[in-house]
Amino acid sequence: MRESSRQIFVLVASFALLAALPWIAGAVGRPDLVTLGSQACVMAIAAASLDLLMGRTGLPSFGHAAWLGLGAYTVGILAFHARDLGPPWDQWAVQAWAVWPLAVLVPAALAAVIGALCLRTSGISFIMITLAFAQMFFFLFVALKTYGGDDGLTLRRRSTIPGIAPRDDVAFFYVCLAALVLVLLLLRRVAASRFGTVLDGIRQNERRMMAIGLSPFPYKLAAFVLSAGIAGLAGALHVNLFRFASPDLLHWTMSGELMVMVVLGGLGSLWGAMFGAAAMVVLHAVLAQWTEHWQIVLGPILVAVVLLARRGLWGALGGK
Amino acid sequence: MTLLLEQLLNGLQFGVMLFLMAAGLTLVFGIMGLINLAHGSLYMIGAYAAAWATLQTGSFLLGLLAGLSAAAVLGMALEAAILRRLYARDHLDQVLATFGVILFCNEAVAMIFGRQPLMAGPPPWLSGAVEIVPGVPYPVYRLAIIATGLLVAAGLYVLISRTRIGMLVRAGATHRELVGALGVRIGLLYTAVFGLGALLAGLAGALTGPLLAVQVGMGERILITTFVVIVIGGLGSIRGALAGAMLVGMVDTLTRGFLPATLRAVLPASEADALGAGLSSMAVFILMAIVLLWRPRGLFPAHA
Amino acid sequence: MSALLEVRGLAKRFGGLVATDGLNLDVAAGEIHALIGPNGAGKTTAIGQIAGEIRPDAGTIHLAGQDITRLGVPARVRAGMTRSFQITQVLMNASALANVALVEQVRQGHSFRLWRPAARDERLLAPARAMLERVGLGARADVAAEDLSHGERRQLELAMALATNPRLLLLDEPMAGLGTTESAAMTVLLAALKQEVSILLVEHDMDAVFALADRITVLEGGRVIAHGTPAAIRADTAVRDAYLGAA
Repeated sequence: MRESSRQIFVLVASFALLAALPWIAGAVGRPDLVTLGSQACVMAIAAASLDLLMGRTGLPSFGHAAWLGLGAYTVGILAFHARDLGPPWDQWAVQAWAVWPLAVLVPAALAAVIGALCLRTSGISFIMITLAFAQMFFFLFVALKTYGGDDGLTLRRRSTIPGIAPRDDVAFFYVCLAALVLVLLLLRRVAASRFGTVLDGIRQNERRMMAIGLSPFPYKLAAFVLSAGIAGLAGALHVNLFRFASPDLLHWTMSGELMVMVVLGGLGSLWGAMFGAAAMVVLHAVLAQWTEHWQIVLGPILVAVVLLARRGLWGALGGK
Repeated sequence: MTLLLEQLLNGLQFGVMLFLMAAGLTLVFGIMGLINLAHGSLYMIGAYAAAWATLQTGSFLLGLLAGLSAAAVLGMALEAAILRRLYARDHLDQVLATFGVILFCNEAVAMIFGRQPLMAGPPPWLSGAVEIVPGVPYPVYRLAIIATGLLVAAGLYVLISRTRIGMLVRAGATHRELVGALGVRIGLLYTAVFGLGALLAGLAGALTGPLLAVQVGMGERILITTFVVIVIGGLGSIRGALAGAMLVGMVDTLTRGFLPATLRAVLPASEADALGAGLSSMAVFILMAIVLLWRPRGLFPAHA
Repeated sequence: MSALLEVRGLAKRFGGLVATDGLNLDVAAGEIHALIGPNGAGKTTAIGQIAGEIRPDAGTIHLAGQDITRLGVPARVRAGMTRSFQITQVLMNASALANVALVEQVRQGHSFRLWRPAARDERLLAPARAMLERVGLGARADVAAEDLSHGERRQLELAMALATNPRLLLLDEPMAGLGTTESAAMTVLLAALKQEVSILLVEHDMDAVFALADRITVLEGGRVIAHGTPAAIRADTAVRDAYLGAA
């Protein structure tokens, strides 16, 4: 895959705009824009990870919010128990370098089990079963009263990153942005690798892939696990951003919104997920400011996007 | 023993409701190849229309009629306006567009009726309880639901296996092109099938309303359980929908009924209740996982 | 003579329809064996079962003495038997070269590499180019499959099957949709392959069948009604009645 010069221009401009966001927010006197920017970066990571499944491998998972939520709760639960632990564990349980990798590994490990089950089905059943399993995790966290149940779990302070003050929202925004850039570069690399080529082949023609001697299952499962792990990272950032994890993060509407972000950005376009996520985050903020019944506007927009806009934002911005 | 019998009947009643939902969803999938997330919204609309009309008129039967017609009419309007454009699209587009429909319906209902749940209990002539066996009283209304649901299931069976419409439906499920070639006006057939599915969802909503709080979000909760039913039963199969619905209805009801009490034997009461509630919500999903390990295409796959 | 492919008592029914009814078939090493029969005779279902896409109700399939009856499609390919498709199944938005390179990658068995770019990997591209040369597509290597002509896609289909390095090729109507000149070229190509790979050929083009086949098996109603050399089949009255006479 090679980006066209127009696409490179769009990317450079977008990232420059993002990098300059704290100054812009300061200039217009809207510091809340920084948080909105962080949120866009976090959702972009989650959407990009889902695009690896939906867009590249052709597996429309309707349960991706589960991994986002599990990543968030991994960080939240470890911090919750930090006080009860003796040294050095009490310190490690709030360190980003120790906890964030766990927020990747826990969802990835669970995804290996759930994915192995879900991948026994395909098509519509796959959509239904991923939704159902994600809802299972949702009910689990609602029932876990120790960790707040319905009300969610508050994170007393952000995970410790050396050199960054825990309450510095601008610094945390750059952490999110850096994570987004790293994830996108990683996914781009994976897409162009032998592994990515196989995923492409499975999406386009699974029957042919089998007929040339490839068993698709391990590759699909690997994509499922990788995708869940990256979503877990997004969850770790999310819980740090708002210092709060709630079952809403695992709710099926979140899975639906992630799917919308991917399609809105341009299915399978890698970079598109970022634009889809940003558009949804901004749309939410704008509509919510305008009316409490913002979903009545969002719903028809979704229907229109699906029926009319086939190429997605990346296709419109970057040309094809 | 008394409790067990009562819970078994509750399980049967929930299973019957799930069947009404699953039958519509699986018919629409089997014939039109459409996955319709908004099926839960039709259930919700049926429940709201019925509760509202019951409260306005004081008549349960008028309420039921309102619930059925609201769901069927809105369902067919939805099919004509949006969903028929999705038949030829891939499942992902169908999921996303009907997801948009859900958001719209939920918010519209919240704007019209508010966020407070509507409560309309069963009518006086269906209230109270009868002793099904000596010493075991059971609510009449739930018995009425079970009877209605079983009657509908029998009616569906006759419709699909014995009538000309049913023949078209069965043919449509396996040979979509063939039905077109027979000169049947396929658009009309599709709208009718969709209307039937919507009617069943509306019936489920209207009947369930008096048992639960009628509120926004009730549709999705049952929709996801219905998905579990369909995955277990086998996509596109009415027989599978019936078997899956009964299985899920029983497992869900029995675990909810007995698990917390069982856990109390080993855990402090409050923890046992919370954990029991959590594990019971997960029970049907675990059931689904087990069935999938054993039979990836469900118990009664439609196209063997 | 021990056969490379040995099919015994293969049976498959779909509901009331008997698709394959006790099929016996041997393909010897080094031969082109044609499977012919009128439409609906069960040829496609038979190929599907031999390739592993359709599970037979009864019967056994051996490849070079190994029982492959219970193996899945990819395992059969790894055991040395690859099919081609009647309707071309290639990755349309990838180049001809990328299509064959993907097969080469799968054959080499190193697809769990997530880091190095695959598109410029000479270990994949060099053998893929050589294969395209062999089927006569060398000059069209960088053209996207969707921009190839129908005939060129048939060549690409063959190249992809060949790139798995099979001992036995199952060719499902390689001439389907080809013009006279293209068919003739494909016939020459297949004849040249005979040196290194055995072929089970399903084909409607009788000129090609009689030009290429060492032996022919005739199917009707899912069962074998005749088998033998082309000359014997030509002379067989049962075959004439069922099939050739009508043509």
